[in-house]
Amino acid sequence: MARTMTALIAGAGAAALALSACSGGSGSGTAAGKSGDTAKKVTSIKLVAAEYSKDHTAAFWKQFADKYKAKTGITLDVQVVSWDSIDQQSSTMIQNNNAPDLLNLNVYASYAKDKLLYSADEVLSPAVKSDVLDAFVKSGTYKDKMYGMPDLSSARALFYNKDLFTKAGISAPPKTWDEFEADAKKVQALGSGNIGYAMPLGPEESQGEFSIWAFNNGGDWKTDGKWAINSAKNVETLTFLKKLSVEDKVTQNNPGRTNRAQAFDLFKSGKAGMVVGFSPLAGALDTDKKVNYGVAPMPTKDEGGTPQTFGVTDYLMSFKKPGNQDAIKAFYELYYQKDQVNQFIKDEGFLPVTKSGLAVFASDVKLKVYLDTLPNVHLTPTDDPTWDKVKLAVQQNLGAGVGANGDPQAVLGALQKTAENGG
Amino acid sequence: MADAHQGAVAEPGRMPVAATASAASSPVSSPVSSAVSTSSGGPTSGRRRRTLHGRTSPWVALLWLGPALLLIIGVVVFPAFQLVKAAFSRYSITGLRLGDAGATNFTNVLNHSSLITVLTNTVIWVVVVVALTVVISLAVAQFLAKDFFGRKVVRWAIIVPWAASLVITAKLFTMIYDYYYGTLNLILQTLHITSGPIDFLGDDRWTMASMIWVGIFVSVPFTAYVFVAGLNAIPTDVYEAAKIDGARPWQIYWRITLPLLRPALIVASVLNIIYVFNSFPIVYTLNDRNPGFLHDTTITFMYKLAFKSAEKDVGMSAAAGIFNVLLILVVVVIYLRTLKWQEQED
Repeated sequence: MARTMTALIAGAGAAALALSACSGGSGSGTAAGKSGDTAKKVTSIKLVAAEYSKDHTAAFWKQFADKYKAKTGITLDVQVVSWDSIDQQSSTMIQNNNAPDLLNLNVYASYAKDKLLYSADEVLSPAVKSDVLDAFVKSGTYKDKMYGMPDLSSARALFYNKDLFTKAGISAPPKTWDEFEADAKKVQALGSGNIGYAMPLGPEESQGEFSIWAFNNGGDWKTDGKWAINSAKNVETLTFLKKLSVEDKVTQNNPGRTNRAQAFDLFKSGKAGMVVGFSPLAGALDTDKKVNYGVAPMPTKDEGGTPQTFGVTDYLMSFKKPGNQDAIKAFYELYYQKDQVNQFIKDEGFLPVTKSGLAVFASDVKLKVYLDTLPNVHLTPTDDPTWDKVKLAVQQNLGAGVGANGDPQAVLGALQKTAENGG
Repeated sequence: MADAHQGAVAEPGRMPVAATASAASSPVSSPVSSAVSTSSGGPTSGRRRRTLHGRTSPWVALLWLGPALLLIIGVVVFPAFQLVKAAFSRYSITGLRLGDAGATNFTNVLNHSSLITVLTNTVIWVVVVVALTVVISLAVAQFLAKDFFGRKVVRWAIIVPWAASLVITAKLFTMIYDYYYGTLNLILQTLHITSGPIDFLGDDRWTMASMIWVGIFVSVPFTAYVFVAGLNAIPTDVYEAAKIDGARPWQIYWRITLPLLRPALIVASVLNIIYVFNSFPIVYTLNDRNPGFLHDTTITFMYKLAFKSAEKDVGMSAAAGIFNVLLILVVVVIYLRTLKWQEQED
């Protein structure tokens, strides 16, 4: 009997341990400090930063913290967190009433909605704010106030394999969807494992892949402030993507279950004719020196359309806590200095977020194709807190629309309903 | 560990083997040592000795137990308390607590459209992995208990999958299973077993089977070592007697080895049920490309509810977590009951 009990307790203990490891301190408290002007000034602040690369992110923030300390006398405590776990960690910190002073993430609106953040009026000098590119001011603004300060940006473009194009007898990258489809078929017809187009519509970032296609068909997630996920244009777009995969069979196997890394790997191995990529992919390809590639604007649905770029920006947001307002102000002041923000962006291989940054990067020929489109870049509706949930729903469900039995109309209809119900 | 050594001492003839088994197990000492102690006479004699010395004062006992109790309170009781609290709270997507939720988190979990799929997956995952692990481990243990040239090397080789981190193992298998570059597809096609590549992780007919295989791969080492320890604890004279009575090898295995292995079998399967049920890295890593909850078990379901799915709701996830604990406790109790563990003790 004693042993039965021991085994049971051991079992319960093991289960509880595994469980608590997963739930990682779920719990208490409402994190809502007041930005007390009267409160004692802080002597150190904490930044939770996303890890863009093993080589550069931590190194950049270390030199930044040193400069910040020298300038303000305040210690900047930096915690670099991988993208895989940053959602989980930031959520846990807020649950435990232990929010950092600054957080680097790809969303902000929900935090603004929860009234946790300082707005730009409180922590950003007018000079810095006016330097930020208008597209990013707009995407960082929730209810007329800017809460999400862009740290860097990226824009997508069509990468194509020049050698495969030559072999398939294609002289120039496609300008319309019809040309795109024809070119993809030609590359696929080369055989020996070559793939026309590597299409990542898996849960990692399907909203990105779909966005760039939808934008080039005149579609969008929202039009005139209303959700338009199942608009005729968007249904047409997803139907076209499904056709590429199911009917034409010019994509890799199972695009609805392929994440970006896998699609990029196919292109990097020289097996894929085309893929939608961004500057870090170009960096990787240049290091490998294996694939002779070109970068072109995305094809538009019809002839003569203006190619649209899908842009992404990540944000630095700052949490209201007693006595930290001046420290945060000093942080942004230093971060948006030309030699800081642009150095960070350059190291990580991304694109600028400021007008002065555009000028700095203008000399880089390789970035021209992105930079030209950057001021008119098209973003996802990150300024709507509902999007934070809609995005997750899109990631989990969109891929089903391009499966063999996928129903684009139904998939987008369900997502529209999710969005209308507030996520 | 102490128990394990006592067990080894109690069986002088077997000592080197038992010692190897327990030494090998040191990184995760408790499971194997408890298995060894179950199959030896060690602990009983120890208990008797303690009672001879009479009782110590409760305060002195508390002093000695204090650190362990603090640890248990900090690592088990407090998180469990927080879990219950979270399950009854309403959270914003950011993790901010908005107020009390009553029982809505629990009803939301029970009404979740994917719950049946997830539960079915969990049953298949646990039953198949544990059953096949036990069967394979019995064979492996039989092999490892024999004396042969290079046994040490083989024993170490079998420990490797156990020693490697589960995430690394799972990542390795995503490469082995890969549709385009995977070694498995290469082998199958080179040997003309299949005509084209198989999408082991993306094709719904294969995903669960592929995950199960990895689950077995990482569970066999530990289980096999429990059985090796169990086999070594069976006295040789029983076998000699059986041989004198003219028993055939299969009869010996069925009528002597298996019944005497029963304690080890029960310990191994109960621990495996708990481990496999709680196994997160394998299911999460191998399934990361698949949208929705089609191949999730209750553990990955719980995680996705909190951080990845459109719900992104810590409260609902905590409620799912409480269901998980109850589920595994009930399963283990039922399992032990049906095995009539207590009768076995007598």
